[in-house]
Amino acid sequence: MTQSTQIVIGVLAIQGAFREHIQHLVKAIDELGLQEKLEISVFEVRDEETLVRCDALVIPGGESTTMSLVAQRLNLLEPLRQFIASGKPAWGTCAGLIMLSSSLQNKSCDQQLLGGLDIETTRNAFGRQLDSFIADLDYSKFIPGLTAFQTVFIRGPVISKILPPSPGKPKVEVLASLPEERGSQIIAVRQGDILGTSFHPELSEDVSFHKWWVQDFVLSKITIT
Amino acid sequence: MTNDDFKLKAGLAQMLKGGVIMDVVNVEQAIIAEKAGACAVMALERVPSDIRKEGGVSRMSDPQFIKEIMEAVSIPVMAKCRIGHFVEAQILESLGVDYIDESEVLTPADKKLHITKNDFKVPFVCGCRDLGEALRRTYVEGAAMLRTKGEAGTGDISEAVSHIALVKEQINQLLAIKTEKDLNAFAEELRVPIEVLREFKEAGGKFPVVNFAAGGVATPADAALCMQLGCDGVFVGSGIFKSEYPEKIAAAIVHAVTHYNDPAKLLEYSKDLGKCMFGITVDSLKSSEKLSTRGW
Repeated sequence: MTQSTQIVIGVLAIQGAFREHIQHLVKAIDELGLQEKLEISVFEVRDEETLVRCDALVIPGGESTTMSLVAQRLNLLEPLRQFIASGKPAWGTCAGLIMLSSSLQNKSCDQQLLGGLDIETTRNAFGRQLDSFIADLDYSKFIPGLTAFQTVFIRGPVISKILPPSPGKPKVEVLASLPEERGSQIIAVRQGDILGTSFHPELSEDVSFHKWWVQDFVLSKITIT
Repeated sequence: MTNDDFKLKAGLAQMLKGGVIMDVVNVEQAIIAEKAGACAVMALERVPSDIRKEGGVSRMSDPQFIKEIMEAVSIPVMAKCRIGHFVEAQILESLGVDYIDESEVLTPADKKLHITKNDFKVPFVCGCRDLGEALRRTYVEGAAMLRTKGEAGTGDISEAVSHIALVKEQINQLLAIKTEKDLNAFAEELRVPIEVLREFKEAGGKFPVVNFAAGGVATPADAALCMQLGCDGVFVGSGIFKSEYPEKIAAAIVHAVTHYNDPAKLLEYSKDLGKCMFGITVDSLKSSEKLSTRGW
C-alpha cells in the first residue's frame, strides 16, 4: 500500500485512441467525486520520464504493430515491461490487450509484447472491419448494476487461451465471455492488478467501466490519508 | 443507418489516430509500410505522382491486387474509388476492404454527386478543402473520416495547410453567428442544409469524425506540422516510396507523428534521411492539373 493522496494515471500515447481514454477517465474521476479527496491527474505517456511518474497505466486501442514497433525503436519497450512487472495497476483495451498478453497466436512483423497477462490472444479474431460489431452485454457479475453495457468491438482480438500463471503470480481470472450465440470467446480477464479487455469501453457513452477500474484497480492500491 | 453502424465506422478511424496511413503499390511496399509502423495502408496501383506524370483515366485498382495486399499485412487496408462511382465502392465493399477513400486522385465518375456513403456498411474517408465540403461529406452523405485535400503527388504541403486553416476559420465564423438570418446565409454560402449547419453549431463546431492530413506530406516535419495544426493523423502518398530510403523516411514520419510536439525529437527524426521525393510546387500547376479542385 502506498501512502499517498497524489495519483498519476498515464495513458500510453504512442498511437491510437488515447484521448478517448483520457476523457473517460477524467469524467469517471469527476463522477466518483475523487477530486475532493485526492490529487489525481491523467497524463499522455510518450517517454520514460513520464512513465516512471505514473501510478497506473492504460494502454489504449489502436494498431498493436504500430505501438509495439514504435515502442521498440524509441526504447520504451523495456521501461514499459518494468512498469508492468512492478505490480502497478494496468489496463489494456483491444491493441492494449494484445500488448499485455504473454503470447500472440498470429504475430505480425517483429511485434514485441509486454506481457503481464498469462494468456494467448488472437488478433483480428472476428475478421475485418465489416465484421466489427456492437452488443449490449452484461457485466453485473463484477460491476454491480452494469447489465447492458454498450460494448464496441473494432477488428477486435479475443483471448484464445488462458495459460498457467508465471511463478509468483495469481491465476488469470476470466471476467467476461461473449454470449453463446456470438461464439463464447473470452473478452475480459484479470490477473492481479492487470486488466485486459478485447473491446473499447472508451468508445461507449457510459463511463461505468472506467469508474470501476479506477476504484477497483487504482484506488485499492492507495491509502487515502 | 443506425447510430451503432456509424459508431463502428468512425470508431475504426479513431483507432488510426496518431498514426500514418501509407500508399503502397505492391505487396513488398505493404510489408515495408507495416514494418515501419504504418497504422494502415492504402492499396493502389499507381501513386499520385505517377498518376500525375502518366495522365489518362485513373480508376479503382484491380481487386485481385488489393486482395493480395489484404492477405500480406495484418493492419487495416484501404482502397480508393472514383468520386461518385458507387459501383466501384460496392465492389470494394464485397472484397472486404476496411475503408474506402472516395478520392479526387482518381478521375471523377460523377461531376455532380458524391456517393451516398450512408448506404454502405464499409466506412468511407473523403477529402475536404472547406467546411461546406466537410459537412456535405459527413453529415449529409455519411463519411466516417475526413482528410485534407492537399495537392496529391506534389510534395508541396501548402494546399493541405490552407485547407486546415480554412476549415478552422469557417468554424469560428459559424460559432460567432448570432441570428437565424446569418445562419441561413452562411448555410447557403457553404452549400449545406441549414439543419446540418445548426446541428454542427450546437455540437460546438466539433466533427463526430477524425480529420487526417493528406496531400503533399513529404517529410517528418510536414507530418508534425499538420499534427500541430490539429490533424489527428497523416496520410502519406508518394512521399515514402518516391524517396531515396523508403524504410527510413517511413519510420521517421511515424515517429514524428507520435512526438509531433517535441522539437528535440523531431530534430532526430529529420536527420540523415537521404533524398526526399522530388517536389512540384502547387503554384506551378495549371488549374486543370490540380486534383484538389475535383469534388463538389
